Amino acid sequence: MNYLIVGASSGLGRDLAYTLSENLHDLVLISRDKRDLDAMKSDLENKYKTKVNSYVVDLASKDSVISFLDYNEIKLSKIDGVLFPIGMMSENDSITQIKDGVDQITNANFLSIVKFLEKIIPIFKEKQKGTIVGFGSIASSLGREKNMIYSASKRALNSYFESLSATFITSNINIQFYILGYLDTNLAFDKKLILPKASTEQLAKKIFKNMDKNNIKEYYPGWWGLISYFISLIPFFIIKKLFKFIK
Amino acid sequence: MLKKKIISLDRSTNVDIFIKRPDKYREIENFSLNTDNLITMGGCNSYTPASFKRNNLSLLFTKFDRIINFDKMNKTITVEAGIKLSNLLNFTLKENLWLPQIPGYPSITLGGAVAANTHGKSSDTHGTIRNQIKSILIFHKTHGWMNLSDKENKSIFDLTIGGFGLTGTIVNVELELIEITGCNFTTTVEKVTSAKDAIEKLNKRDLTNLFSYTWNKTYNKKRFGEGLIFNNKINENEKNLPIDKMQFKNKNLDRHFALNLWNKFSIKFFQNLYYNYFTIYKNKNNNDNFENVLFPYAGKESYFRMYGKKGFIESQLLVPLNKVDIFLDELEHLVNTHEPDIVLFSIKKIVGKELFLRFENTGVCFTFDFSKNKKNLNFLDKLDILCIKYRLKPSIIKDSRLDSSTIKKCYNDFENFKKDLSDFDNKNIYRSELSDRIGI
Repeated sequence: MNYLIVGASSGLGRDLAYTLSENLHDLVLISRDKRDLDAMKSDLENKYKTKVNSYVVDLASKDSVISFLDYNEIKLSKIDGVLFPIGMMSENDSITQIKDGVDQITNANFLSIVKFLEKIIPIFKEKQKGTIVGFGSIASSLGREKNMIYSASKRALNSYFESLSATFITSNINIQFYILGYLDTNLAFDKKLILPKASTEQLAKKIFKNMDKNNIKEYYPGWWGLISYFISLIPFFIIKKLFKFIK
Repeated sequence: MLKKKIISLDRSTNVDIFIKRPDKYREIENFSLNTDNLITMGGCNSYTPASFKRNNLSLLFTKFDRIINFDKMNKTITVEAGIKLSNLLNFTLKENLWLPQIPGYPSITLGGAVAANTHGKSSDTHGTIRNQIKSILIFHKTHGWMNLSDKENKSIFDLTIGGFGLTGTIVNVELELIEITGCNFTTTVEKVTSAKDAIEKLNKRDLTNLFSYTWNKTYNKKRFGEGLIFNNKINENEKNLPIDKMQFKNKNLDRHFALNLWNKFSIKFFQNLYYNYFTIYKNKNNNDNFENVLFPYAGKESYFRMYGKKGFIESQLLVPLNKVDIFLDELEHLVNTHEPDIVLFSIKKIVGKELFLRFENTGVCFTFDFSKNKKNLNFLDKLDILCIKYRLKPSIIKDSRLDSSTIKKCYNDFENFKKDLSDFDNKNIYRSELSDRIGI
């Protein structure tokens, strides 16, 4: 099998690449920095003898994404599955500070994925099979003062994947969406968090195990599902009071 | 930024540091550029605080652990410096190649080994890791990316090997690997009657042995250094068997027992037990696997924990060949006079050349482990005087007590190292508790 990993060079994307390679799948890796991609390609090929192609694409830039998709249709036609372990955050992601960063965060976390799938879904339809894996965030459960564009983009992505599930419910195109809590990635490494961080390596193994299943929507770690459920039950007038209390 | 309490393995230093873990190349640049002072951290397995400094940034380099290039034909490999040595060997041994200069714990990283210019058990054949290094890529906050080798930036290349990470972050290293014909060993154990007898036997060792080193008892005044000599050679009967992947669990090395369990009674008890185990219970020739021979401390972390809250001191001394006899006489006299509690005493030979602050020369390497108490510290002060008198090299990476004045007197190149480093980086951007202590 041949998998495309969009956002492959660090965190979950990196562990997905290793898990898939270890299980002898060929890979197409996409990331922003050639140095990271070259290091991964060489390491994977040396260790697992699988075939790895890599492409530099800045997922925060609409032009970079469109240019890649326009020039690489043939390569995409060989893909059996696509995974989007992308998450771009910014220290300035708040109403007063964000300014020019809105487009970048929205592109990286939502619009670039939509653009990729515009090209890939017709290929999967023609093959009558394929796997699409997206990743949301627990941050999208509730509006927030910090990371507001990030959480809004992830909520949009959640809705988009629900629509994909609805569209392909009876087909052999597998739609999977994981809503992620705290993971042991660089986004969380130097932050003191109340709840523990989950291992990206374990998550990658779980995703690999589920690869042939259709219509997955799961929280990881699972107990975030319970927290999210309780948040959804709280009436907005109480949430307003909570916001005031925090301020 | 995350502030974390950290303690050196010998428990000499306990400080708060800032820590970041880059996993992309641009993060090495960004994290380095956005701070005044920093140092790189690998496995954080040095006995001394070489990879951190109070309130300074440590770049945890463990995500940079990939194979950048492997050329089987020319036996070279380029690897990112955060790779654990056990993982590097897991890859190379499959190709019947290895890096011989491996220190005794599997989670030590390649970058750490280069920065400390480590030697392994075959130090009398292979010398230090310097002999395997073809080139190094570093990132320095002001100089940026630099390729270092004998042909390019040679002066910085020389400063970096055994330079305690003070020339910048070691990002990747090109190594020349050595062929190995098998991964299982036959270990021969032989008795030695004294430290001098041990050295005589090491001098006459059978060259088919890959490793030869001693373990010596320390409590017997009449027969100081009586003990065992271990010789490991490749097991010819299991020569071509591929190695199983070495798997080591992450052990929490900073744990300790409430009390120091090493005293003269326990030392005598354990040393007798160990000696009798090998002389009475075990056969003279035993089969051993690669992990046990190469990483003797893995799985035996309790040894460090038994030193309790105060921790331990390891003194490793490099004695030139022509001074070994006189050193042993003086050492024996000092031991008889001061009666220190020496938990571990081991001897091996080493070959190499002196340069800068590298623990390298042709001679004999003596290792002693002590618990931290007044009597032992007093003995160690006397040992320092002996080092200065005979210009022996005490290992800077092993002994947290060593001060600038002792090191200056024992390392001919101390001032040259300091000057060359200062010419390269006059702001001393890369600093650790170790570099501050020794006055660099």
